[in-house]
Amino acid sequence: MKQALIRSHASRVCVGVICLSLLAISSACQRKTASNDAKGPSSDSCCPTEELLSCDGKATITISKSVTGQARADALMEQWKHNHPDRNWVEEEKAAHAFEEPADNSDILKDGQAKGHAYGDFSETDLLVWTRETEKFVAQGSRIFHSGDLLESTVGASCDMCHPHAANTHPETYPKFQTQLGRVVLLRDMINWCIENPVRGKKLAPDSAEMRALEAYIMAQRKGVEMNYGKH
Amino acid sequence: MFRAKLFRTSRQPALMGAAFLAAVVLVAGAAKEAAQDIPRDELGAATVKHQIEVLDKLMPQKDLDQVPPGVDPIAWKALIPEGNAMTPERIALGKKLFFDKRLSADGTVSCATCHDITRGLTDQLPTSEGIRKQFGKRNAPTTFNVVLLHTLFLDGRSPNLDHQARQPILNPVEMGMPDGETALKAIKDDAEYQKMFKEAYGREMNFEDVGRAIAAFERTLVFLDSPFRRFLDGDENAISADAKAGWDLFNGKARCVSCHHMNPSNPLGTDNRFHNVGVSARHQDFEGLASEALKAMKEDASEQKLDELAVGTDMSELGRFMVTHNRSDIGSFRTLQLLNIGITQPYMHDGSMATLWDVMDHYNKGGEANPFLDGGMEPLDLTEKEIDQVVAFLFSMTDDRFKEENQRQFDEQKARAQKERPFRDNEMAARRTLGFEDRVKAESSIEKQEGAK
Amino acid sequence: MAGYKSVETKYMEEREKLFRGLTNLDRRSFLKVSAAAMGAAAGLAAPASFTPVTVAQEPGEKASGGGEGFRFAYVSDSHLYEKHVNDRFVRGLLRGVDDVNNLDPQPDFVFYGGDLAQLGQPKELELGAEILKNLKAPLKIMVGEHDWYLDMGEKWRELYGDPTYSFDHKGVHFVVLNSVVEADFWTKRKMTPMERMKTVAGLDNGLQSSFTVGEKQREWLKNDLAGLPDDARVIVFSHSPLYKLYKAWNFWTDDADEVQAILQRFNKVVVIHGHTHQLLLNRIGNIYFYGMLATAWPWPYAPEGMPELTIEMTRPDPFNSTDGCGNGEIPVHPDGMIDMVYNLWNRNPITVRPPYMTSWGKTDVPPLPNRPSY
Repeated sequence: MKQALIRSHASRVCVGVICLSLLAISSACQRKTASNDAKGPSSDSCCPTEELLSCDGKATITISKSVTGQARADALMEQWKHNHPDRNWVEEEKAAHAFEEPADNSDILKDGQAKGHAYGDFSETDLLVWTRETEKFVAQGSRIFHSGDLLESTVGASCDMCHPHAANTHPETYPKFQTQLGRVVLLRDMINWCIENPVRGKKLAPDSAEMRALEAYIMAQRKGVEMNYGKH
Repeated sequence: MFRAKLFRTSRQPALMGAAFLAAVVLVAGAAKEAAQDIPRDELGAATVKHQIEVLDKLMPQKDLDQVPPGVDPIAWKALIPEGNAMTPERIALGKKLFFDKRLSADGTVSCATCHDITRGLTDQLPTSEGIRKQFGKRNAPTTFNVVLLHTLFLDGRSPNLDHQARQPILNPVEMGMPDGETALKAIKDDAEYQKMFKEAYGREMNFEDVGRAIAAFERTLVFLDSPFRRFLDGDENAISADAKAGWDLFNGKARCVSCHHMNPSNPLGTDNRFHNVGVSARHQDFEGLASEALKAMKEDASEQKLDELAVGTDMSELGRFMVTHNRSDIGSFRTLQLLNIGITQPYMHDGSMATLWDVMDHYNKGGEANPFLDGGMEPLDLTEKEIDQVVAFLFSMTDDRFKEENQRQFDEQKARAQKERPFRDNEMAARRTLGFEDRVKAESSIEKQEGAK
Repeated sequence: MAGYKSVETKYMEEREKLFRGLTNLDRRSFLKVSAAAMGAAAGLAAPASFTPVTVAQEPGEKASGGGEGFRFAYVSDSHLYEKHVNDRFVRGLLRGVDDVNNLDPQPDFVFYGGDLAQLGQPKELELGAEILKNLKAPLKIMVGEHDWYLDMGEKWRELYGDPTYSFDHKGVHFVVLNSVVEADFWTKRKMTPMERMKTVAGLDNGLQSSFTVGEKQREWLKNDLAGLPDDARVIVFSHSPLYKLYKAWNFWTDDADEVQAILQRFNKVVVIHGHTHQLLLNRIGNIYFYGMLATAWPWPYAPEGMPELTIEMTRPDPFNSTDGCGNGEIPVHPDGMIDMVYNLWNRNPITVRPPYMTSWGKTDVPPLPNRPSY
């Protein structure tokens, strides 16, 4: 499952590439074969096709040679979407498990001392990138939080079964003495305790992508709550 | 990982540990003595003379009134009651009283009878023998490190050691004195006592000061300089690979740490709380016993009566309930400390388990189901190897001064465990049979049979 | 000799005989002793007192309400997976049954509050049914969304029949509703039955619709209650709370207002619900709402919209997987009001008495939590 996670992450990087530039399609995907004629009769002999290796280096897309330009790009995109039902995963995760939005930074767009400087002056697009990347990080955490499979639970349990919308996870109270562990811990230690005990899954490496995402989601849900370490 | 987080807060323990090691080399002779060569009295305890010799070698009379090495000074001070500050005079008086059999009704039992320094400061019996061949219902807990406990007795019915130390003197199945005055009378004419009491407390002898002095002495019995301690202080090689694996299990799969807390402010391995871990479940008429107990305590609400019922009758099994009268406390007992556990067998509040393998078998199957079982008790699905590892870890928590006794106990317990494992239930441990399953089915089948009559 | 003995018990008995010459009670004699030991059994006792609740002990009592007092028990929200998938939830239900079986005297019947299964699978429901067969008292049962949305109630109905029904017991009219009816959200999303089930099973899953009782059942309810006078004693069971608490978790019934309107004409109505897995109290006019505890796990309290009468249970400790769980007893008074006894495992029972509810929380206040929800 850890592998699956990493893989899907890698393919998302590819989406970005494809979406950003149509040119990228022809450059990112190499022609594998254009030799339908050479191979003999095909099911569609009037329209020779060619097979393209998509940018993930695994899936191949078969397309008619006669389709060119925008139509070809669209067809490729459709095919890609078909192969990647997960493409809207951030929006889908949001729809399923509504989570807090990252903070609004529009104040930064106002004129000020940094106007026109390399450091400190940001555009609307910058803000969009920040928000989008932050959301994705949190959305990934939400996915793990809501999946017993991703946590490798052996009892069919996931975090949301006791903590819907991350309720009662109190990330703002760490570090604190955690009675279940008999010592002072950080949020990630308690997450791991929960994974091992109530969830009966496999502990995560404290610096793993999964742990970072879980922490991100849990903390995001407490937006606006005052830090209060040591609180029970 | 735990090491750094847990104990790297101060360098002091490591340094003190080194000092202790030097002391251990000097006294190694004391612990080497073979068990059969120890001179014993009629109740089987080592003689007073022998015990004092051993103790003096183990604990050279120096700085005993100071914060012991390896103990958090703030936590330690908070546990010394006001009015009984540690002084050399009080400790010396307490030591004399601790070993004095005149404090028992027939002059055969002292504190040291059941808290024998050659037997891990307990008596290594399931339950203790008092005057006139009477047995109580509870296992004598060790007096090691009692300074750090928040409440005393296995049901916590005593709020502090000063108070606790008086109770066994007056308990009819322990030392059997009818009251404090009679106990005091037994030693009142002793000129040495008169002098020592005056020096220790600056007033006339009284029974409460007897408790205070014994407690002051007992607070010096700090024995926590173990291989495990040195491992926590950073010595990777202090414990075996098995013990290290056991420590990981202790913190993880075996779920021990949630009740057996280990941290510098509280290094004993107890949360000082009370849990029904399904040991007393075999005396299963909890409701009947509870009604009986409430009736008895309504008739006589004295502390004396409570002590009698808790030690000498079946109501002992009710545990903490006897103190709080809370349903939720039925059958629950204080989490026992783990330090020196290798030499304080047999185990559990009733001494019903002879080996640490038995204890692990009990926990591995999630304890014995009863209506008041702590929900933290779950089957652990530990393998034989994992059980061996946790046991190896537990044996690494014995103070170095009892190294030979610890090894001897390990060998003995291991041999015994190879012959019998009476508490093992693989079906339950592996969660194939569930805790309440047989209870529920048995109940309904009994009901049906009775209905058929 | 009948009955089960663990290896521990057997060993201890032999050991005791050997060393102390004592004979232990076998399990059967234990049961007799236990039965003789007054009504001090689980749950019946008030906190710290072991005094039996009087109403429960006096079933023949007549009072101003004119009715007869009696007592029933409940077990709810067990969320069973198959035993090999999750032993913990199965043990929870077993413990609930064991608890209720230990009550002495036995309750008139045991009510099961819904969500017997976790994913509505036939094997889960069959396992639950098998365990519930061990109850000594007669069983009445309600459906929950976890029982329903895999096969739209097919297996559940095969086991227990129609989920909407009513019955009369000692002068009280009991109504059992299916309050977890959701509008179709799955067809347009092309969900498989299991995807639909898992969506409903996620408390914080926003893809699903809100719970309703629905027009059909509301009509049925009107007819069912039609013949009853306004001072009738009525107790309604619904899986979701029959009011609007917190929509994001479906602690909510969308047509609650319409259902309440049907109940309004009675002097008082008691509504007992499952689903929320917590000590939860509310009053809307003449309708008194009580939440049931789960045997599987406790939910946190909703972050907003908490009814002012609710006294939270102290935050459960996750080490103890049954902390915050339990079952309960419900003594019914001659006037139709109830005592709600929350039998929280490993905690003292909390009893909510009628004066607390009728005085809007001014008297008979149950013990307050020292650690509420975050």
